[in-house]
Amino acid sequence: MKSKDRALALYLIPAPMLLLSLFIGPSDAVSPSDVLQWIGSGLGITAFPLIPENSIIDAVILEVRLPRILLAFMVGAAMTVSGNSLQALFRNPLVSQDILGLSSGAAFGAALALCIPRIPIQPAAFIFGLLAVGLSYFLARSRSQVSIVSLILSGIIVSGIFTALLTIVQFFTDPFKLQTIVHWTMGNLHHADWTRVKSAALPICTGMMWLLLIRWRLNVIALGDEEARAVGLNPEKEKIFILLPATLIASASVAVAGIIGLVGLAFPHMVRLLVGHDNSKTQPVSLVFGGSVLLAVDNCSRAFADFEIPIGIFTTLIGGPFFVYLLRQNRLNPGEK
Amino acid sequence: MPEPAIFIEGLQFAYGTHRILHDIRLDIPHAEFSVILGRNGCGKSTLLKLMAGLLPIQNGRIRVCGNDLVTMSHSQRGEMIGYLPQMHSPTFPFTVEEVVMTGRASHVFLSPGKEDREKVFQAMSLVGLGYLSKRPYTELSGGERQMVMIARLLAQEPRVILLDEPLTHLDPANQARLLLLIKALIKRELTVLAVLHDPNTAFLFADHLFFLEEGSVYTPQDGREPWDPEVLSRVYGTSFESIPYKSRFLVIPGSD
Repeated sequence: MKSKDRALALYLIPAPMLLLSLFIGPSDAVSPSDVLQWIGSGLGITAFPLIPENSIIDAVILEVRLPRILLAFMVGAAMTVSGNSLQALFRNPLVSQDILGLSSGAAFGAALALCIPRIPIQPAAFIFGLLAVGLSYFLARSRSQVSIVSLILSGIIVSGIFTALLTIVQFFTDPFKLQTIVHWTMGNLHHADWTRVKSAALPICTGMMWLLLIRWRLNVIALGDEEARAVGLNPEKEKIFILLPATLIASASVAVAGIIGLVGLAFPHMVRLLVGHDNSKTQPVSLVFGGSVLLAVDNCSRAFADFEIPIGIFTTLIGGPFFVYLLRQNRLNPGEK
Repeated sequence: MPEPAIFIEGLQFAYGTHRILHDIRLDIPHAEFSVILGRNGCGKSTLLKLMAGLLPIQNGRIRVCGNDLVTMSHSQRGEMIGYLPQMHSPTFPFTVEEVVMTGRASHVFLSPGKEDREKVFQAMSLVGLGYLSKRPYTELSGGERQMVMIARLLAQEPRVILLDEPLTHLDPANQARLLLLIKALIKRELTVLAVLHDPNTAFLFADHLFFLEEGSVYTPQDGREPWDPEVLSRVYGTSFESIPYKSRFLVIPGSD
């Protein structure tokens, strides 16, 4: 059982990965031994006297690094689990939050909320994300069939519309907010703080828990509507209960971290290459793999550059060539050829 | 006389304005092998899909094992009726085992357990697929896929099995295996109803025969046998010759 061993190995990655990430950052004020001492004091092993020097270290680790690490992991996990669910739901390995218009819809909703006071960001992102997916789906649907190609085409249109709407918001907003919006749409974890972690934690944890619970049912749905109905499942109902949490966790991610390109598309493919296609395995593995890999990518961007490169640019640069590889290997398997 | 496994009354169906079925009345007897014969496009598949609950009932009534189909929930229906869909190719290369496991959907709450895995294993050995269990379903031949879908149907453990052209894509060995399997299922008190193309298979193996002609059930008049060339030429619109075989007759289509 090679894929089973691989899945077990993957489950062991997140804990050391999260711990290791605490040591990484551009700040010169915090050395690795400082981090060790900080961790040690947390466990009650070493002393960490509260002298002014130490309080800076404490602030950097607790207020800068820790929320960023948690946010990177949550966003990576959410985008991968949601991407995998959407691909199974639409029976289409080429589908992702970006392609369905979900990302631009959620981005538009969140940008709107940034500019207009009193509109809460998370619900706005969710509503417009859901609206975008719904539009893509119903535009592609003819005679109760949704073909792989027409779904991608309608997604491109919907995505274009919401990107245009986002530009209008940017056009009318003041320059200070404009910079925030532009940075954030590029896919950015730079502004991670506890407020963002807290605002995303509830929707992401709830949605992900749900998607993990129903993971096996994704297999039945992925086989086809008629095949699902023949064994006593109502595909219409099941699909709604996959689509809602998948949209919820993806738009919650977009609301806090912007559009981090190709994660939702490429990461589920990597997961399937590692552990096979059974969603009982790919769902939990997507969580640990997506979280750990996005965190690793973010660590690189924090470690190598003194200035911040938005993580969305990194993931697109890594994901792009990987997709070219899949395409050349003919491993995308878009159904009947 | 026990209640029929499937009881159909006044059933009509139309796609838009195009009428497919007119006033079907049919009793499918319990624990026997019944076959529906008829031309391409005469409504056989539509009738089967209506019984399987895959199409909405527009007019009329279908009762399965004494329960009205309309009042059943999806999972109740899944436990009672199994349906073999005509083939299509899925997007994801699930393994054979994973595909067969989906047959357990109406029994599984969230994730399949030990009992479900045993049922899947039994179903696969019953159709002789054990050796394929880890292979990707998408890489199998048409006939192998058909056998996988039959294993999925067995893993589902329904009381009534509806098969839409189950013998297409199968080689003679697998055809024989499936027909023997059907006989074995009948002995276990299951009801099997199949749509077949070859009248001879029906003459040799079926307990009951029904002809469907332009959306209505056709019953041969004057006590004629189903293998009577005149009956068949009316149903299929081509001439037939019948040849005696054991105590019955076999037919050859298209001969004068």
